[in-house]
Amino acid sequence: MTTPLETLRKKRAESVNRILQKGYLANTRVYVGMATCEIAAGSKDVMEVFQNAISTGKVKDVYLSQKGCAGRCNLEPTVEVVEAGKNPIKYGKVTKERAWDIITKHIINGEVIEEWVIE
Amino acid sequence: MKEHVITICNGTACINKDVRGLQNILEEQLVKLDLQDKVKINVSGCLGMCDKGPVMIVYPGYTIYGGVTEKDITEILQEHIINKRPISRLAIQEDNLFNRFFRIFGDTKFFGRQMRIALRNCGIIDPENIDDYIALRGYEALAKILTDMTAQDVIDEVKKSGLRGRGGGGFPTGTKWQFTADQINDQKYVICNADEGDPGAFMDRSAIEGDPHTILEGMIIGGYAIGANKGIIYIRAEYPLAIKRLEKALADAEAHCLLGKNILGSNFDFDIEIRLGAGAFVCGEETALIRSIEGRRGMPKPRPPYPSVSGLFGFPTLINNVETWANVPVVILDGGSWFSTVGTEKSKGTKVFALAGMVNNTGLIEVPMGTTLREIIYDIGGGLPNGKQLKAIQTGGPSGGCLPAEYLDTPIDYESLAKAGSIMGSGGMIVMNEDVCMVDVARFFIEFTQSESCGKCTPCREGTKRMYEILTRIIEGKGMPGDIEKLERLGSMTQKASLCGLGQSAPNPVLSTIKNFREEYEEHINEKKCRAGVCKALLNYVITEKCIGCGACKRVCPVDAIDGNKKQMHHIDNDKCIRCGMCMNTCKFGAIIKS
Repeated sequence: MTTPLETLRKKRAESVNRILQKGYLANTRVYVGMATCEIAAGSKDVMEVFQNAISTGKVKDVYLSQKGCAGRCNLEPTVEVVEAGKNPIKYGKVTKERAWDIITKHIINGEVIEEWVIE
Repeated sequence: MKEHVITICNGTACINKDVRGLQNILEEQLVKLDLQDKVKINVSGCLGMCDKGPVMIVYPGYTIYGGVTEKDITEILQEHIINKRPISRLAIQEDNLFNRFFRIFGDTKFFGRQMRIALRNCGIIDPENIDDYIALRGYEALAKILTDMTAQDVIDEVKKSGLRGRGGGGFPTGTKWQFTADQINDQKYVICNADEGDPGAFMDRSAIEGDPHTILEGMIIGGYAIGANKGIIYIRAEYPLAIKRLEKALADAEAHCLLGKNILGSNFDFDIEIRLGAGAFVCGEETALIRSIEGRRGMPKPRPPYPSVSGLFGFPTLINNVETWANVPVVILDGGSWFSTVGTEKSKGTKVFALAGMVNNTGLIEVPMGTTLREIIYDIGGGLPNGKQLKAIQTGGPSGGCLPAEYLDTPIDYESLAKAGSIMGSGGMIVMNEDVCMVDVARFFIEFTQSESCGKCTPCREGTKRMYEILTRIIEGKGMPGDIEKLERLGSMTQKASLCGLGQSAPNPVLSTIKNFREEYEEHINEKKCRAGVCKALLNYVITEKCIGCGACKRVCPVDAIDGNKKQMHHIDNDKCIRCGMCMNTCKFGAIIKS
């Protein structure tokens, strides 16, 4: 009989597999904060900008996900850009316009916009 | 932008192993090897690997080096940074549940001092995707207990951890579990108290919105330990997104056989349902909460019997706060003995705080017990904006107290805060600067508690109302000698004679402000003066000689209290003035001042 631990290990392998199939290993991963507070600060609009950029093919090889509150209340909405082999970058007070700049400057051209980075 | 970040653990254990000396050497070596433009050094709070100290983490790549010596520093720089070859001999492969946090946030000052156990996944995973949670060892604690732990083993592990109730009371969690487990009854209940009602607190909401599954996992483990098959999450209706995510989490967990009948193929069954609170503050009190679930009016009842003996519908009930439940999977997976290494002697683990008020970085933080208020406000919070001076720190919301700046070095734990005259509470922390009037603060909180008092017992119902009236009188400039003593007497009676925690703690804001800021009360009563310039009735606007007689103030005054001829100094009639401040805001010459 399989033990609960074995059952769970199987489930974990399946979960990891599903995450990988969603494109987790992409060159760039983008996380947008989507807790009540972040949504109130406008993160839904920011999410939309990233979603559009991906669905229209403006950016390729990007994994987009939402996340809960990380705790930087005064800097919300926050967006995190994780690129393979680089330090993760976290942007604060991201608006629709800033999101667009992050796409064109950072994700496409690889220039970090230091002014908005949360150090 | 630096290419690498090296995070150095500055926990007590690592400092004892002279990690600061190593940091100096590292800095010297960086200059020597001409790497200072490429590498940034960060200092963090305890990384939880105390036995392996001194610990450093090198990003990107998140390589953890333990037991680092002076000699190793050169090797790390030469091999890892210059030659890009991580050193496997020094690297430690820890898969603790919490330290993953530093992988993403380790390189900001804000997160460095923190240690995230309850919030370990918040801001990291997609809360609406169960795969994200399972991939990060989610539900492994549940699988572990179902595979090779008895109910008593689980309780013993929780006892060993030293975990205490995070709702504010600080009752030892393991003991509570034991009481409930010892009751012989076919029907028992597990409840998660998510009725977060303190003004300005949002710990529970963020925890649920960021990582709902950890609450479920904690509750299922609790159910297994005490022999219950039914769990209820009592959450306020004002948290729609948290409720939505909980509902999704429940459905996903059930679809994955992690909830419901025969969990993970074992013979243990457990169900969880959500009950919505209607928003009464008193329903955060456990007996009132239970009555509310039963469909009755939310009012507390005397204890004993405690809910662990006779709770929901008269059955033994285990009730814990959101944050307590979120800690449970870590206690099981990383072990009670590991958990008990974090924190102070009597308060183990971490505590989540909602840091708010006049501080640069407001936010949701989680720090090890024993961290001082100074570290929270100045290191994590980044100090006060606009160069203002710290006046007081309010902890514990309407049930807590105000501590003056002298208490900055108080370590955060249940006992130290109580000794200083405040409480841990559920985790609200409000920073106040010199522009805040302490009498006004006391009135704000007592106004809240008197309107939230359920009215069942006289001391709370009448005591809070009368205190509110006296404070209002003082603020309106009608305070009388003897009012302070009256407040003290009323306060201590309400504390001692009230039925539940709401009344017993309601006078805390008043009593603590009297204790620590008595002179402000005296000024309000005797000199009719408010030094912070907050209490409008005690405030006079005066036009000074800078006035050129432009008449701008006269035009905006809504009650025609300003008089004066053109190009001559104007005057304010203080009997007519309603202290709206419009004149001061309008004056371009700074001629109007508050006095």
